[in-house]
Amino acid sequence: MSSKTGSYLRGSEPLRKAEMTIRLSEFEIPPMQDALLVGKKAPIGPEAVRRMVDALSPEQYEIIRIEHHVFEAAVLKRSLLKLLPAEKLLPILLEECERVSDEQAVVKAQVNIVIQVNRAVDL
Amino acid sequence: MQTVGEIMTKELVTVKPEDSVARVANLMERTKIGGLPVVEGRRLVGIITSRDIRRCHPNRLIADAMTKEVVTIPHTCSLWEAKELVERHCIERLVVVDGDYPVGVVTKSLLYAELGKYIDALTGLHKAEFIQRKALELLQDGKEIAIIFLDLDNFGAVDKELGHVVGDEILCRVAKVLGSLVEEGFDYLFRYAGDEFVVVTVKSLEEARKLALRMVNAISEEKWPLGIKVAASAGVAGGRRASPRQGDFEPYTVSDLINMSSLASTRAKKEGRQVVIAGEIGLREAGCI
Repeated sequence: MSSKTGSYLRGSEPLRKAEMTIRLSEFEIPPMQDALLVGKKAPIGPEAVRRMVDALSPEQYEIIRIEHHVFEAAVLKRSLLKLLPAEKLLPILLEECERVSDEQAVVKAQVNIVIQVNRAVDL
Repeated sequence: MQTVGEIMTKELVTVKPEDSVARVANLMERTKIGGLPVVEGRRLVGIITSRDIRRCHPNRLIADAMTKEVVTIPHTCSLWEAKELVERHCIERLVVVDGDYPVGVVTKSLLYAELGKYIDALTGLHKAEFIQRKALELLQDGKEIAIIFLDLDNFGAVDKELGHVVGDEILCRVAKVLGSLVEEGFDYLFRYAGDEFVVVTVKSLEEARKLALRMVNAISEEKWPLGIKVAASAGVAGGRRASPRQGDFEPYTVSDLINMSSLASTRAKKEGRQVVIAGEIGLREAGCI
């Protein structure tokens, strides 16, 4: 076995091939959609996020500093806050995100809010 | 009075809010400085310390790692005001400002080293330079002060007959005896010079007189080495006003009180009395005391 391999290597250079796969998708600007939760020890802090969203999507996001054991700030899309105020949305987001992340993380959240309204109209 | 502007580090190394934590960590390592002011333009916006750096990811912006509430001190403030600030806020350094702009940094260790020059090495009491400062501070707080000037009787003879080592031992013991009689927050004890001690007190003239008497008696009653007899005389001045002074130039007020109490102490010694109150006769005639 070893002599066979040895003769193969001596006889020619090893065969090298390259395979390439390209996946194309649209880059989101900013690279988030609805909400980010910034961990206390995350590589980027709230000020860096503020500069990013201000530069890429001015006035579309709100940064809320929070007192929490894992996260120090939340960045929320303003249009979301028209559907659900921050005091309702944030506790739910924090509760769910703290289950899956830690202080080092920046968590991106996609939030879909559907409002159901039933109104009675006098006939 | 020495100001923080005179002792501060003037070659100010600053960083910007958009610098990275990694870059600033390197800068701190290179310059051996543990805390750097963060400036935007020339305006002070924060301070970053090695402790902040340790807590943060190196990729972060300084804006996300710095302490935003910076404790600053004007360059014209005294070293004592600076000391009070670092102790009150439990911090290691103060940013010195001129108006709105940072002009230097003063560290706790530098402050303590400078203030150590105002501590008497023999007795551990504050030296005479501190009396003016403390007395002024009390006057500015709207408190009336009295000064007790106390000196040992014929102390030169002790030095001459028994030597300065014994003399120094006695001075240390006197400082301890007097220290045991002062009341924290009301009385402040200083070594004025040689065998002279001063107490600045916020007590009334009568209470100051009683304190002076207790001090003189305590010195007489102490058991001194080699069976020596040590005695003291005291003069008291001030402590008569019930409301803050108006229009007086405070440094002169303090100097006057020290001078008056010192003269009263000399008079006590001459007349063989334990305590003399400055202006005592005139006041007695006027029926004030």
